[in-house]
Amino acid sequence: MEPLKVVVSGPVGSGKSTFVRTLSETAIVDTDAFASEPIGKDMTTVALDYGTLRLDGQLLYLFGTPGQQRFDFMWDILTEGALGLVLLVRGDRPQDFPQARRQLDYLLSRQPVPYVVGVTRQDKPPVWGPEEVALYLGQPSEYVVGLNATDPKSAVQPLLRLLELML
Amino acid sequence: MTKQEQLQQILRELKQALPELRSVVVASVDGLPIVHDSSDAPRVAAMAATALGLGRRISQTTELGSLEETIVRGNHGYFVVYAAGEKGVLAVSAPAGANLGLIHLEAREFASRLAQTL
Repeated sequence: MEPLKVVVSGPVGSGKSTFVRTLSETAIVDTDAFASEPIGKDMTTVALDYGTLRLDGQLLYLFGTPGQQRFDFMWDILTEGALGLVLLVRGDRPQDFPQARRQLDYLLSRQPVPYVVGVTRQDKPPVWGPEEVALYLGQPSEYVVGLNATDPKSAVQPLLRLLELML
Repeated sequence: MTKQEQLQQILRELKQALPELRSVVVASVDGLPIVHDSSDAPRVAAMAATALGLGRRISQTTELGSLEETIVRGNHGYFVVYAAGEKGVLAVSAPAGANLGLIHLEAREFASRLAQTL
């Protein structure tokens, strides 16, 4: 089977780098830089995250994007040739949902591929669940999955759903 | 002088030392413009941070040591990104045929001055 390129995107702090780090079975490539604006963390991705894993015999290449709009040229570069998209959004930051929706629309307009929305921080209530976020985003509920990006068993769920949707 | 004025001053001196530069952007390593003379500073600042971040990672992965600069050369000129300490990026653009050796010589020194000021 051909390797499957999957882009991992979403607003700042949604857990993209953590997701790639948690799931990759090979040494990751990350590009963290000091954050100079208050984004709730010290470091932020400026180019990409990269990792690989094997899932049900399928090799996946994960490409994480930066979150900030100013890096949208990297969204274009990284979605080139992608076969799937995971868009992460923090379940405890509903103020990020509009940005997540814009980003999803943008990415799918560039590259219309199968996608899953991952709602992170499911282990940190109070948090919006996947069904609620699906309603908010106007997405079918099977396209939205809850996860905790720090836990491998949980983080893999959006990718399993993506593979189901692609078959 | 405020920090911003000091940075403006360094930018002016760099332009005087290298009059052939088309534009200069000083940005934070996460891609926000700090001082510049570019009409497209937000975009250039973000790209400079990406080039620096990726350059650093490549340099590290391929055991080249700490990154000095990332160079993009097109048939109409150069875009060179220097690390300005831990926090900053200095990006300069120059036309084809510019003296790259001289640009490196001056820009590296200005990058270390910027690093002390940022």
